[in-house]
Amino acid sequence: MVKNIEKSHPADCFLRADPVSSVWCPGCGIGTVINTFIQTVEKLNIDLNEICVVSGIGCTGKVAEYLKFKSFQVNDGEVIKYAAKVKSENSDSKVVVFSNNADFLVSGAEDFIEIGKNDVNILVIHINNIIYTITENRAIPTTPFMRASINKDFELPFNIPHLAKSCGARYVARWTPLHAGWLMYSIIDAFYKKGFSVIEVISPCLMYYASNDRMADAAGRMKFYDTNSVIKQDEFTENLDIRINNKIIIGKFVDKK
Amino acid sequence: MKAEVHIINERCKGCNICIEICQASVLEISEEINSNGYHPPVVKNIEACINCGMCEMFCPDFAIWVTVTKEAEVNI
Repeated sequence: MVKNIEKSHPADCFLRADPVSSVWCPGCGIGTVINTFIQTVEKLNIDLNEICVVSGIGCTGKVAEYLKFKSFQVNDGEVIKYAAKVKSENSDSKVVVFSNNADFLVSGAEDFIEIGKNDVNILVIHINNIIYTITENRAIPTTPFMRASINKDFELPFNIPHLAKSCGARYVARWTPLHAGWLMYSIIDAFYKKGFSVIEVISPCLMYYASNDRMADAAGRMKFYDTNSVIKQDEFTENLDIRINNKIIIGKFVDKK
Repeated sequence: MKAEVHIINERCKGCNICIEICQASVLEISEEINSNGYHPPVVKNIEACINCGMCEMFCPDFAIWVTVTKEAEVNI
C-alpha cells in the first residue's frame, strides 16, 4: 500500500508551525542530526518544556528556528556563555547547544574553556562542516592538515575531542551522519550526565567543501563516510586529528561519572 | 510483515539518501516533479519492506516514515 497524500510526520509535533521544507541544502547532515535528536527526545519521553535549545550563527543557527523547544538564537561566539546563563536561570531544564565552527573555536573559545572547567551541565552538539559556509575561501580552525585555502592560507586544525577532554568534559564522542543510530545512543548517554559533555558530528558542507572532492551527491557522501571512517572506542584523544589521507576515527572517547 | 511507506512529496529535496540506504531496495526515483523541482522517491516493491525504519531515521527533511498495517498488528 502506498500513500502519497498530505499527512503529518510523527515528528511534526517537535517542529515549528508546519514547515513546508527546511532551509538546508538537499541531503545536508544537519537535517539528519536534528532527526536523530528528535528521535532521542521521543524515545526518552521528555516533556517539550524541559529542553532548551541554543544555537549560534550560520547554517547550524537555523536549528533554533526549526525546533519547537524553548529555543534561542544568539550572536557570533556567545553560544556557550549564553547556554551557561540559561542553565543558571532554569536549573530544571536540560540545555542543548547546537554549535558551529564559528561559535566557539575563534571568538568564544575562552568561554568554552572556562565553562568546561566549571563543569556546567550543558550538552554541546558540535556540527563540524570543515568550512565557514558563507565566506568559503578562508582557512579556518578546522581546515584539515595539508589543505590550503584559495588564498594559500595555512592553519593547524583543532582537535575538538582533545580540546574538550583537556577542559574536563565528562562525555566526549565523535560521529558522522551515517552513524545516526550510534549518535542516538550517544545523545541518550550524554543527556543524563550532570556535567559538561561534547559530541562532535563531522559532516562536510555539501555545496562548498565536499563538491571540490567530488562528493556533492548526498547519497554518494554516505558511502564516503562508510569507507573513510573507522570506529575505535576509548581511543586516546591525542590521535584524533583529521588529516586528508587518514581515516576519520569515530567513537566514544571519554565517559566519566 | 506488512508495512506502509508514507511520503510527503512537497517536503522532499531529492537527496536520494533513502533510496541508497534501503537494504531491501523498496524505493526508486519517481518521474514526477514536486513544486520545488525535485524528484521525490516512489515505492516500487512494498512486499520487500521489513519496517527497519532506516529511511525514516536518515531523512533530513522529515518527508518519509514507515508504519505497520493494522492487519499485521493483529497478527503480532
